[in-house]
This record gives sequence, C-alpha cells and structure tokens, in this order.
Amino acid sequence: MEYSNPELPEGINISKENPLKEFIILTVGLLALVFVVISILIVVVDNFADKIPFEMEKELPVSSFIENMEVEKLPPYLDKVSQKILASFDLPEKMKITFHYVNEDTVNAFATLGGHIVLYRGLLEKLKYEDELAMVVAHEIAHIKYRHPILSVSHGIVVGVVLTAISSSTGNSIVNDMVGQTGMASLMRFSRDYEYQADKDAISSLIKIYGHADGALGLFDVFNSEFGDDLSFEFLTTHPLTENRISQTTKMIEHYNLSPGRDMVIIPSEFKAWLKTQKENAEVNE
Amino acid sequence: MYDLIIFIVMLALGYGFGRYAESRHYRTIIKREKQLNSIPAIASKIPPFRRQDLNSQLVAGNVVISVDFFKRFIAGLRNIFGGRITSYETLLDRARREAILRMKEEAKKLNAELIFNIKLETSSIYKGRGNSIGSVEVLAYGTALFPH
Repeated sequence: MEYSNPELPEGINISKENPLKEFIILTVGLLALVFVVISILIVVVDNFADKIPFEMEKELPVSSFIENMEVEKLPPYLDKVSQKILASFDLPEKMKITFHYVNEDTVNAFATLGGHIVLYRGLLEKLKYEDELAMVVAHEIAHIKYRHPILSVSHGIVVGVVLTAISSSTGNSIVNDMVGQTGMASLMRFSRDYEYQADKDAISSLIKIYGHADGALGLFDVFNSEFGDDLSFEFLTTHPLTENRISQTTKMIEHYNLSPGRDMVIIPSEFKAWLKTQKENAEVNE
Repeated sequence: MYDLIIFIVMLALGYGFGRYAESRHYRTIIKREKQLNSIPAIASKIPPFRRQDLNSQLVAGNVVISVDFFKRFIAGLRNIFGGRITSYETLLDRARREAILRMKEEAKKLNAELIFNIKLETSSIYKGRGNSIGSVEVLAYGTALFPH
C-alpha cells in the first residue's frame, strides 16, 4: 500500500459569498418579520382592547399606581381651566376624568388607565399662558377620549409576548437586543400616531375655547427650549419630534384660516406665586 | 439612539478586524502547511510501518480563537432562520488547521518523520452574556515517530 500526502484543496470550508450579503439579508429579514408580526398583532389587539369597558380600566391593577404616587387635588385655578377644557370635549358620561397634581420638578404630564391625568409642577412652571396650559390638559384628555392608555398597555403585552418568543429561541443576547429595539420601534410608531391624534383634538378644543391655536405653538416652543438639544431620530422615540408637531399645528391653523399672533391669556400671578411656594416646600422636604 | 450607534460601530469593528485577522491567518496557515507537508499526520491507530530505529512521543498543538462581534451576530441570526453558519465554519477551519500546525511544529523539533493516531478536540471555552459562544478551543494531539 502506498501512502501519499497531497495538499488539500483550499476553501472547502469557506463560503465564497461575502458575509456582508448574508448579514444584510438576515438582518433585513428579521427586522421586517418582527415589524410585520407586531404590527399585525397590534391591529388585531386594538379591535379587542377597544371593547374593554372604560369602567373596567379602574379595576386594572395598573391604575392603582396613581394612588401610590404623591398626588394631590388640583388647586382652584388649575381645576377651573381643566374643567373648562373638559367641557369642550363632550366626553361620554361614563368616561370620568380625574385630575391630579404632583409637586415634583419633572417637566411632564400624562394620562393613564382609569381616566387619570397627572400634571407635574415642573411643567406648569415652564408655562406662561393659560392657552399653553389648556393645550397640555386638552392633549391628555384627548388621549383618554381615544382610549390610548388601554391600547398602549395592550400593545406592550403583544410586543412582550412576541419578543419573549423570539428571544427564547435565539439565546443570543446581541440578536435579542436588536429584536427588542425593533419591537420597541414598532410600538413607538403607534405611540407617535396617538400623539398626533391627541394634538389634533387638543388644537380643535383650543380653537373652540380661545378662537385660535397659538397655545399649541407656545407649548411646543417650551418643549423646544426644554428638550430641543437632544439628538434623536423620530423612529426611536415615543413622541413625534417637536418640529413635526409644530408643522402639523401650523397646517391645522392654515386649514382653519386662523391668523396667528392673537393675544393669549397670561397665567395669573397668584398661581405663579403658589407654584413658587410649592417648589420651596418641596425643597424643604428634601 | 446611542445604543444604535455603539451597535453599528461594534459591528463595523468586528467586521473590519475580523476579516483582516482571518485573511492574514489564512495566509500564514497555507504557507506553514506547505512547509510542514513533509510530516504526514495520519489518523490510524497503528503506525504504517515498524522500524526499530524510531522512537515515539506525544505531540500536541492547542489554539484558542475568539469569535468577533460580527460573526457572533450573524450566527445569532442563523439561530432563527437556520442554514449554514458560514461565519463559524471558517473560524473552526482556522482553529483546526492551526492546532494541527502547532502539533506538527512540535514534531518538527523532534525531527519526526510521521505523526500517527492524531485526535482533535473542540470546545467552546467561554460562555458570554446570554450563553453566546465567545471563543473556541481546538486541541490536536498524536504520536510522533522520530529517529533515535
């Protein structure tokens, strides 16, 4: 028997294809898959979430977290403005809205399950005009009107289920991170649509009450000076970029043929003074 | 946002350095394989010839190669879609050949004519975050026959 020791041909184990091609096909495929599956499920779930009676939201454990926050009743001025806006909405009788005030520096306001709307001192301090305050309140009421909190919670559950299903099958943390980000991005698309929808209703409400929508533009200016420097892509955020919200507002203003630059109602100095004492109290408590 | 930038940078670095290291490694492998081709390494348990003038000794070569970020990412995607994990195929190919080469280099120091009964062992020695494979170890060993 003769033994020979030839050189093996090169490249038996090496794919001739550039790995970048494989990378692009797989990545795009996975992202599209996640995006499509989540979007379809969300549309399906929306049909059911809509049917959950509003009263049942109060029973959900999520809404009890409001009670655990240090919320207070609205002071008279805030209450007066909020009730005025609420009246302009003609909500169904069963849709009861409860306003809360929180003495914290957070520049935010939100609406959540069970018809709760929370206003933070931090945001109120930044406002100069009642119109801007009205925009904030109207925007949050609109969220509740369209049942956005319960829809968002349902979406969160759908995305959670899909992501868990995928991540448990890959076991690769890098891919899981990417899938998670895509899931969030597809969620945020809906979230941004809700913001536009709420803005739209809020602007209509402003026009009904004040005859113009400058309060919306004023509020967005506040956002710009507050959060304007953040570098971000819209597809990665829950809220639309302020400039896009401004452009939607401007379009609506043009649509209703309203002239901008009308007089806005200044927030009374007594309320400003009250906010100041609140801030001082908060600092003392710290 | 920053996560995304970091992720893309990591992928680009993994791809760039990974490709560079791989092609450089293949060049040295091919060159050294030619040089060491005169020492056959065979799998048979019994030496092909019996000669009184030869001694035998254990020779071994060991290598650990890390998976780059890009390869790991592609392999993760393959976990979902199935198919050849080409990024790991080249990795293991390199590791196996490098281990054999290091074993042969040992044998060459002994002036060996032949290595028989060679065995290869592969293991992933590092389980990173989420149990992803971080690096691979290949051990090659066999019995070298060399003159007194």
